[in-house]
Amino acid sequence: MTTKITSAPPAAGLRKEPRRRPAASPSVSTVGRPGFAWALPAAVFFTLFAIVPLVMVAVLSFMSWNGLGSPQWVGTDNWSRLWDDPVMLKSVWLTLLLTALGVVIQTPLSILLGVWAAGYQRNRAVLSVIYFIPLLLSATAVSVLWRALLDPNFGIPAEASWLFGDGNLFGEQATAIGVLAFVSTWQFTPFHTLIYQGAARSIPQVLYQAAEIDGAGRYRQFFHITLPQLRNSMITSMILMIVGGLTTFETVLILTQGGPGTDTTISAYYMYDKAFKGFDFGAGSAIALALVVAATIISLVVVKVSGYDKMRSSMEGVS
Amino acid sequence: MKTRARLPRLIATGATLALALSLSACGDGNGGASADDGKIHILVYGDATNKIEKQVVDKFNETSDVKAVLDTIPGADYQQKLQTIISTPQAPDVFFNWGGGSIKPFVKADLLLPLDDFIKKNPELESKFLPSVFNNAVVDGKPYGIPMRGTQPVLLFHNKNVLKKAGVQPPKTWDDLLDAVEKLKDEGVTPIALGGGDVWPTQMWFQYLYDRIAGPELFQKALDGDKSAWEAPESKKALKMIRELVDAGAFGKNYDSVKYTNGGSVALVAQGKAGFELMGSWYYSQQLTDHPDFAEKGLGYSAFPTVAGGKGDPKNVAGNTNNYYSVLKKTKHPEAVAKFLELMYTDEFVKSQLDVGNLTTTTNTDEFIETSATPEYSRFQYDLVANAPSFQLSWDQAYPQSAASNMHKAIQQFFNGQLDADGFIKAMQALPTE
Repeated sequence: MTTKITSAPPAAGLRKEPRRRPAASPSVSTVGRPGFAWALPAAVFFTLFAIVPLVMVAVLSFMSWNGLGSPQWVGTDNWSRLWDDPVMLKSVWLTLLLTALGVVIQTPLSILLGVWAAGYQRNRAVLSVIYFIPLLLSATAVSVLWRALLDPNFGIPAEASWLFGDGNLFGEQATAIGVLAFVSTWQFTPFHTLIYQGAARSIPQVLYQAAEIDGAGRYRQFFHITLPQLRNSMITSMILMIVGGLTTFETVLILTQGGPGTDTTISAYYMYDKAFKGFDFGAGSAIALALVVAATIISLVVVKVSGYDKMRSSMEGVS
Repeated sequence: MKTRARLPRLIATGATLALALSLSACGDGNGGASADDGKIHILVYGDATNKIEKQVVDKFNETSDVKAVLDTIPGADYQQKLQTIISTPQAPDVFFNWGGGSIKPFVKADLLLPLDDFIKKNPELESKFLPSVFNNAVVDGKPYGIPMRGTQPVLLFHNKNVLKKAGVQPPKTWDDLLDAVEKLKDEGVTPIALGGGDVWPTQMWFQYLYDRIAGPELFQKALDGDKSAWEAPESKKALKMIRELVDAGAFGKNYDSVKYTNGGSVALVAQGKAGFELMGSWYYSQQLTDHPDFAEKGLGYSAFPTVAGGKGDPKNVAGNTNNYYSVLKKTKHPEAVAKFLELMYTDEFVKSQLDVGNLTTTTNTDEFIETSATPEYSRFQYDLVANAPSFQLSWDQAYPQSAASNMHKAIQQFFNGQLDADGFIKAMQALPTE
């Protein structure tokens, strides 16, 4: 266990700024920043590949188009059809459910793993590397892999019928959702573990040393130092989980195709189903736009509620 | 980090749109590559059979002034990609399709050339093909496609050893099948393997039973837009029989978790864990690849059983009739295209298709069948198809592509009990027919 204060380098970096630009005030908020030109490449790409398509999708959501010929204006037809569509409503609930499951399952797991992996012991370093592997695989490969592993006759369920019964995991809603939540957890927990590992390592050791002197045990240290200090990372990780959950697609496409029936048809998959299987690009665009709006609102709410926008330093009480 | 997925998807959508818009913008101006380069472009689904299509193109180019170019689109997204380019200047002159619903939207959009004139000049373009196959590319009474690969009827395959052990013969009638189901259950095997996860294997049971009970006319009526067809007593009877078969445990309980496409149901039959599987004729080569020993020694096949009292001719078959070449209306070289299509029934063409295991549907196929890679199997299929008064195209291909997804949902939901007969009928009535 090292006693070095790991937060030293960034602080030094900030202090260098004023020296290079003597005219600027020493306060951090008025430190000189690169001009707008620096943002130009990113802005151009973002406009071209995000804003422009988004506007086109918005326009297309008021049109009827099957990919042949010219799109026809249909006013709000697509939207009113969606509003009355029971599958759409169901897909919204399923999306929220899967997102919530992702957050609820992955957050505790990755906090525990991340804090554990933050230790500098060699075995932890080795195991962390192994835990990281699922993230390196593409979502497609992961889904194909688990579909094969969960085959009822030749996969894991066949060997463990005491747990899986007849192994009809993809044939019933509850188990199909369970599989989706499990596979996402398996794949994305390593990423969030990484976030928490970094965050846990940047918690100043002095806090733990002071706690030890005060006689706080390991659990008290975890709940009163580690967890509060991980607050901002937790919010970052949760926003990523929520946005990721709302836009989950490949996993559903390959594992369940939205089935059985429409029992795992989440909104993003329903969008694909409408646009690229049903060639109803108008309805597909309407779902896409609704998804963008919903994801934006939810992210904003999380940011507001959590106080993330105020960017409070996690270093309070240290310097 | 799942957010990764969002940006590429937006980019893909944007790029497709940008592509489509910019293409349509320059369309009327300078014209595209295929329109002006003095060649005919032939677009084909990319797979192993392409080497034959290449041979045909080479042979055509030896004698023709207008040269042909073979373009292929690999992968399962053929229909989506075709639909994206077909109304652009980059559209091919001739393209591969599945007949039926796969070309109907193009006919409605007035993109395809009816082949009446070609046939008037050279009647062999129609008479050289088996009528039941040729008719599946007829839309609104006009022919739009020339058969260009092999036929793939759906057959009832079985594991000979499993059937023998249970004392079961390949079923000739529906009652035989129900009887076999009970005997196989007693043996502790799944009577019928089914890749319900893919859904289209499930659909095969529907299309055969409807054909046996109601004849092909009822489905045709529904396809022509008369939705009351789904409420007919024959329709309800077929649904009742499917329900009985499922409830009898013919498919076991976990069929929705089994897939054909990842080899699951194939292995069930090969390893003797299931007795039967209803599948297209490509099943033989699939077994040959996955389980060569079993394919040569233990794999048996028979036609779909007859149903007592059914209105459909018991000799009818269902499946993929063939693939077709259709011609775009805007082609600059119709004469050259007609000459190219005439190569689809030459002796040489038939022989090279049979060599790779594709069963052509020309009238001269009969003469060369002994040269096929699997003469006995080819003969069985050919006689089946040639003697069939009607060849029911797979439902999801007979309907427009836009209906396929909802049709699959209804089929899966009826099969696993989420929908009752009335729910299924309503779902089928809601499908678009054009």
